[in-house]
Amino acid sequence: MAMAALRREGKRFALTSPNPINVLRSSLAPSEERMSLGVRGISTQIVRNRMKSVKNIQKITKAMKMVAASKLRAIQVRAENSRGLWQPFTALLGDTPSVDVKKNVIVTISSDKGLCGGINSTSVKISRAMRRLTSGPDKESTYVILGEKAKAQLIRDSRNFIELSITELQKNFLNYTQVSVLADEILKNVEYDALRVVFNKFQSVVSFLPTTATILSPEVVEREAEAGGKLGDLDAYEIEGGETKSEILQNLAEFQFSCVMFNAVLENACSEQGARMSAMDSSSRNAGEMLDRLTLTYNRTRQASITTELIEIISGASALEG
Amino acid sequence: MFRQATARLLSRSAAASPKARPFSTDLESAPAADQAFVDAWKKVAPNMDPPKTPLSFMKPRPPTPSSIPSKLIVNFSLPYASELSGKEVDMVIVPATTGQMGILPGHVPTIAELKPGLMTVHEGNDVQKYFVSSGFALVHANSFADIIAVEAVPVDRIDPTLVQKGLAEFTQKLNSASTELEKAEAQIGLDVHSALSSALSG
Amino acid sequence: MSSTAAVPFWRAAGMTYISYSNICANLVRNCLKEPHKSEAISREKVHFSLSKWVDGKPEKPNCHVYKLSCF
Repeated sequence: MAMAALRREGKRFALTSPNPINVLRSSLAPSEERMSLGVRGISTQIVRNRMKSVKNIQKITKAMKMVAASKLRAIQVRAENSRGLWQPFTALLGDTPSVDVKKNVIVTISSDKGLCGGINSTSVKISRAMRRLTSGPDKESTYVILGEKAKAQLIRDSRNFIELSITELQKNFLNYTQVSVLADEILKNVEYDALRVVFNKFQSVVSFLPTTATILSPEVVEREAEAGGKLGDLDAYEIEGGETKSEILQNLAEFQFSCVMFNAVLENACSEQGARMSAMDSSSRNAGEMLDRLTLTYNRTRQASITTELIEIISGASALEG
Repeated sequence: MFRQATARLLSRSAAASPKARPFSTDLESAPAADQAFVDAWKKVAPNMDPPKTPLSFMKPRPPTPSSIPSKLIVNFSLPYASELSGKEVDMVIVPATTGQMGILPGHVPTIAELKPGLMTVHEGNDVQKYFVSSGFALVHANSFADIIAVEAVPVDRIDPTLVQKGLAEFTQKLNSASTELEKAEAQIGLDVHSALSSALSG
Repeated sequence: MSSTAAVPFWRAAGMTYISYSNICANLVRNCLKEPHKSEAISREKVHFSLSKWVDGKPEKPNCHVYKLSCF
């Protein structure tokens, strides 16, 4: 029976691939020809191969989940530690997403690597809407992009509005020096009245909140403070150090941008790992389910072929008897 | 395919429900914070929730009290750590560029740029000494003091021999500097090291 | 008092507040006792690649891998 099975398989190979050995084998068993056209025609080999590949995929996704989980733990601590950094600025300057200025720069933060759920397309969508919101006849808005993924998406429809793109941020672990040098480069290369940083704030492993932080240029801060409104309180503050108010506001705006960027980059990296973790978790679960179904199909087919063979033997025996 | 779609739907509804909760509390704490922004957002992207803004993640701070409180609330943050957060102290002395500046409860609201120097936190008889490299101190009217520094270390972690070495090195560098940039760098080096050595001796 | 004089100094020399504060922080980190020193220095690695875009096309990226200028 084992030989018969082997021959059958050889026959099947001959059908799918022009392997000379199998052709030879199938010619050795011409009687199989008719039988394989019957019930036993369902291939077990293909199902077995499929099962093997699904098992391998599951192994990979499980490993990726583990890696993401351990990276998340490390980065989460640092993201939480950096949260104190932007709060003083928000307490001082408030929150001004609705400010109406001429030159808007949208800083979109995304990841370099994929397989992390929807976080990159969320930041891209928010950035696009942000651009629609802030561009108009007498005002313009441009992009500064962090990370490969947002670049790949924004290049399609808004390549003319991209001013800078930055990648390979996460070769070493993220640190303040790195992000501040980066922030410095951005400030040197773009002209802005308002910088709008778009990122995913980490809430928990399954939830991220798309967030935008607004940083105003020193001139706009001064203008808005004089005009009253949200920044009206700023005039109540005494300025220590520096020769003039505009000088200290300039330093403050630069420092604010680097601090906000640092936190934003960390929060986004944290969201990335969290999203990757849950994406990999669900895909290894899916692979498991698929494997279960395949095993069921495989076993059924095997059982069916055994049953058919038994029936053949029995009916053959009874024909001899009769 | 169907299975995937339902899984996705499920995860989306699961993700949406915790999102809804902080939103409702936001409205309480900051009702008209950026209504203009939300309205404008709805016009350009009606199918998308407007993104959050940093203010909605911040713990609301109390209004300015009518009488001067007895304690000062200090937040001292570094990029890699929150050294002090919401701590009640008696006094903080920070190295402003115009000289050492003492902050007591009820201090006038101030924005102070910090230079490299010694920062002390006084709490009863307890005094903590930090050396800060640079940063800002923001004092608010409600006796909150936010201090942000790029680098700050407890004074006992500084190595005096390295400070003396650096002081000599940068004095020499300042004399040999040719370009404006080199000169400025050497000047910064000299400032930092002399501040370090005076922090160690004082 | 010397630093009030130095404030226009660094800006006049083409530095920004960010680079000024990074140099200050770097100098302070270099004067620490071990093991704090190597721990603090490990927070200084800078690596990223930045490309400017002109007319919808990226120019050649320039890689930033450097230590701060002072040491």
